[in-house]
Amino acid sequence: MKDACENWKEPLREAALTGTTAKDLEEHLRSCANCSAELDEVRARAARLDALLPLVAQGAEPSADFRARVLAAVAAKEGKRGRPWRVWTLAGATVVLVTLLVVGVTSLRRNGPAIPAGEVAAAQKLAEWRAPSDGLLRTPGQEILKGMPRLGQSYLNVPVKTDEEE
Amino acid sequence: MTGTCVSVLISKAEAPETEARFSERIAENQRRVFQIAYSVLGNSADAEDVAQEAFLRAYQKFASLREAEKFRWWINRIVFRLALNRRKGHGRRLARDSAWQMTETPAMVDGAKYAEQQVLLDRLRREIERLPEKLRSVLQLSLVEEMEAADVGAVLGLPAGTVRSRMYTARKLLLEVMK
Repeated sequence: MKDACENWKEPLREAALTGTTAKDLEEHLRSCANCSAELDEVRARAARLDALLPLVAQGAEPSADFRARVLAAVAAKEGKRGRPWRVWTLAGATVVLVTLLVVGVTSLRRNGPAIPAGEVAAAQKLAEWRAPSDGLLRTPGQEILKGMPRLGQSYLNVPVKTDEEE
Repeated sequence: MTGTCVSVLISKAEAPETEARFSERIAENQRRVFQIAYSVLGNSADAEDVAQEAFLRAYQKFASLREAEKFRWWINRIVFRLALNRRKGHGRRLARDSAWQMTETPAMVDGAKYAEQQVLLDRLRREIERLPEKLRSVLQLSLVEEMEAADVGAVLGLPAGTVRSRMYTARKLLLEVMK
């Protein structure tokens, strides 16, 4: 490329990459064989680059069992998450059952059938009842006879007067 | 408690349907998702790991990603971000597959021409690595099949016009170095 054509370098690259040639470049190309050859060369390079670029990523493929492996990983993760849910549910259900049981028993006790007042009074009277013969059988010596006298004591705790006192 | 129980029971009953739908989504997106990861990481093993991680995250959010289009945009973004994170984490230790490892040799092919192409491909990859980050990201995503300028823009948070202009600049720089 001649020094005079240096200014056309950028338009040439643009023409090669975009596929469109500007009017002033077209006029220049008609009169400049060097730039025409340069454009052909840059176009060929651009075509090679554009053919290679898709291969950078598109040549690679995921393995055939990729989907199955993802689904297995999902299932494994879900399984791990599922277990604590079951434990907490079981614990919650137990707490609720125990609470219901306690509340039920308490309310049953409070609202249980009341004993009629007449029956209570009769029972009280029966407890306080004493047979009339109990009073008749009492004797003055009954208290004395309840216990055994100790050695040197008599059944009758009667003070004995000594000769000196007399 | 009953509300929670009911919603849990409903989600349990819907589980097989959800899995079937999710499996469909994997089939629709796996190639592109893998290729996005591959374009950043350059090796199949890491690309598959990252693609799988992206799908696992998508499953956790699947309730809000039922629409195919929404799913597609979301997973493109997440896999690209995960791949970038992995590349930053691994740094220079990240091995790249060579062009020879990556492509299968076609049965009827001119051996010399094929070899030349693989050498050029390896060289092109190295040149892409040397591009400025903002040009490289656009180029890597644009090279993935089915990724239009709007898709690339959605991943990078750029207007489609900016994507096209950066792509043009990247090609121009590569044209200079790939003489």
